[in-house]
Amino acid sequence: MLMLIWNNISRRRTQSVLTVTITMLTVLVFVMVLGVFQTVNQGLALSRERLGADAILIPKYASAEGDDLLFTAIPENIYMPIEVVEEAKQLEGVAAMTPQFYCQTLALGCCDPGEEARIIGYDSATDFILRPYLDEGSRSGINEEQLIIGHNFEDDDLVGYNYMILGRIFKVVSMLQPTGTGMDSTIFMDWRTAQDMCLESEVLRQDWTDKDPHDYISVIMVKLAEDTDPQSFVKQVEQSGIEAKCLLTGDTISALQSQLEVTMQVMFALWLASLLIAVLSLVGRFNALAKERKKEIGLLRAIGLKKGQVFGLIIGETCTMALMGGFLGSGIALVCMNPVIEMLKDAFKLSPSVWTTSLAMLCGLAGVALAGVLGFASAVSPALKSASMDPQAAITQGEVN
Amino acid sequence: MEICKLEHIHKDYRMGETVTPLKDICLSVGEGDFIAVEGPSGIGKSTLLYVMGTLLKADEGTYTFEGQDISAFSDAQKSEFRAKKIGFLFQDSTMIQALTLRENLIFTQSVGGKKNLKQVDELLYQFGLEDRADFFPHQLSGGQRRRAMAARALIHNPRLILADEPTNDLDEHWSGEIIRILKEQTGKGTAVVMVTHNSRWASAATRRLRLEEGILTDI
Repeated sequence: MLMLIWNNISRRRTQSVLTVTITMLTVLVFVMVLGVFQTVNQGLALSRERLGADAILIPKYASAEGDDLLFTAIPENIYMPIEVVEEAKQLEGVAAMTPQFYCQTLALGCCDPGEEARIIGYDSATDFILRPYLDEGSRSGINEEQLIIGHNFEDDDLVGYNYMILGRIFKVVSMLQPTGTGMDSTIFMDWRTAQDMCLESEVLRQDWTDKDPHDYISVIMVKLAEDTDPQSFVKQVEQSGIEAKCLLTGDTISALQSQLEVTMQVMFALWLASLLIAVLSLVGRFNALAKERKKEIGLLRAIGLKKGQVFGLIIGETCTMALMGGFLGSGIALVCMNPVIEMLKDAFKLSPSVWTTSLAMLCGLAGVALAGVLGFASAVSPALKSASMDPQAAITQGEVN
Repeated sequence: MEICKLEHIHKDYRMGETVTPLKDICLSVGEGDFIAVEGPSGIGKSTLLYVMGTLLKADEGTYTFEGQDISAFSDAQKSEFRAKKIGFLFQDSTMIQALTLRENLIFTQSVGGKKNLKQVDELLYQFGLEDRADFFPHQLSGGQRRRAMAARALIHNPRLILADEPTNDLDEHWSGEIIRILKEQTGKGTAVVMVTHNSRWASAATRRLRLEEGILTDI
C-alpha cells in the first residue's frame, strides 16, 4: 500500500507538484505570519516584563518619542542639566532612579561599529536597568576602559576583545541578554567615560563648545513605588517645575501593542483568505483526482481492497503531498524570517532578538501540522466518496484510461 | 466438487424505467468447469459476472461459494473474498496507472496476502510480456494490456476466474493463447466463467449457456 501511495505521488508528477505547491505557499504565509506575530508579541511582553523603568524623565523640550527611546537604538542627542537628578529625588513615589547619558559612535572605518550606533553612559552605582541582563562579573560596574554590548552584536563575537570607539580602545567585558528593546543594539559604558568622550572626539566636541558634558545627563530612568499611580506621577513632574517631562513606558508599550495588534489582525485575515483559497483549490483538485481515477478505484475494490484501505490510500497520498508542502513551506519561511524581521524591526521599532531557535522550531512544527490538517480536511470528502463508491458502477462508469 | 451456486438470482436496474437483466438465474459451477455465457449485447452478461464476483448485490436469490452464503457477507468480508478467491478479467482495459506491469501483478498478489515473484515472472513470460514488465499501462498496446489483465486475473491462484470478453483487442494468436491458458487453469481445479460474443472461442468451453430475457439456458 505504501508503495502504491508513493508511486501515485511520484509518477503523477505534475498533479503532485501542483498540490505540494499550493500547500507550500499556504504554509509559507502561515509560518511567516505566525513567526512575526509571535516575535512582536513576545518582544513587547519581554519589554513590558523586563524594562525595569516605569517612567522616563527626558528634557522638557526634547522632541524624542518614547518608542524611539525604548525600541530603537537611533542615537538621540538630548540633554538636561545634571541638577535635575537631585530635583527628581524630591519627587514622591519613586522607588529607584538612575541617570543615563547618551552619545553616539560615528560611521567610521575598521575596528569600530562601522555605522552610527547609540552609546549609553550608565551609572553602575544606581543602575537597575542593565543589571538583570548582566552576568555576575559585570554587575559591580565597569571602568573607563570597558564596554558592555547589546545582544544584537552577538554575531560579531566581541566579548573579550578590544573595540575602538571614536579613536579610543575599549575592552568588551560583557554582552546583555536579549531585552526586546533598543538596548539590544546599544553600546554601554560608564556615564563619566561617555561624557569624557564628548570632549575627546573632534566631531562630538563641536556640540559642546560652550558647555561641559559633565554637567548634563540625557534621561533619568525611574522605577515607581508599588503604590504609586503612574498618571499621578506624570502630573507631579509637570507641577514640580523641574526641567524634565515624564514618559510612561507602559503607555508607550500599550500604544505600540495596539498598533501592532491591528496590523496583525489584518495580516491574519489575509492569511485566512489565502487558507480558504488553498482549501477550495485542494478540495477541487482532490475531487478531480477521485473522479479521474474512478475506474482505477473500482479496480482496487475488485481486486480486494477494503473501503477503509481505499480511504487510507487517498488520504495517505494527499497527506503525504500536503506534508511535503508543509515541510518545504515551513523551511522556506524560516529561512526568510530573519530578513523579514529585520525589515519589520525598522518599521515597528522593535528588536528581533526574541526570534529564537525554539520559537522557529515551534512555528515550523505548527506549519507542518497545519499542512497535515489541510491535506486531511481537503481530502476527507473525496476520499469518503471514493471509498464508498459502488465498485461495479466505478468500473463501468469510470472514464476509460 | 461444487465451487459456487446461484439460486433464483434476480437483479433490477432502475434508471427511469426498470430493466431486469437477471430474472431468475440458477447456476452451479464446479471445480474444473469452463463455462461460456453467450447472448446479445446489453442483455446482462457482465451483470451476471459482477454478481458472481460480489461487485454487485443481487436483489433476490441466494449465492453460495464453497458452501458459504456470500450474500450475508459484510463489505470487508466480500473484499477479502475477492482478494483470495476471484480473478477478474474486465471488458475494458483497467490497470493501476502509476504502477508498471510487474508492479501491477505484485500489488494484486499482495492484496491477496501472497508474495511469489517467481510466479510473476512466469506469468509475464507465459503471456509474452517479459520485455514489457517495466512499462506503464499507457505505454502498452491494447492487446498487451488485455494479456496483462489476464495475467493479473491468475496471479493469486483464484478459485473462480470471471472473464468478460477476454479476447477483445487480441489477434488470432493471442486470443487462442488466452483461451488455452484459461482452459489450462481448469485443469488445476479453478473454474472459469467467460462471457463472449465469439462462438468460436465459446466452443472451447465445457459448457455453453445463453442469457436471454434474464434467464440462463444451455445451448
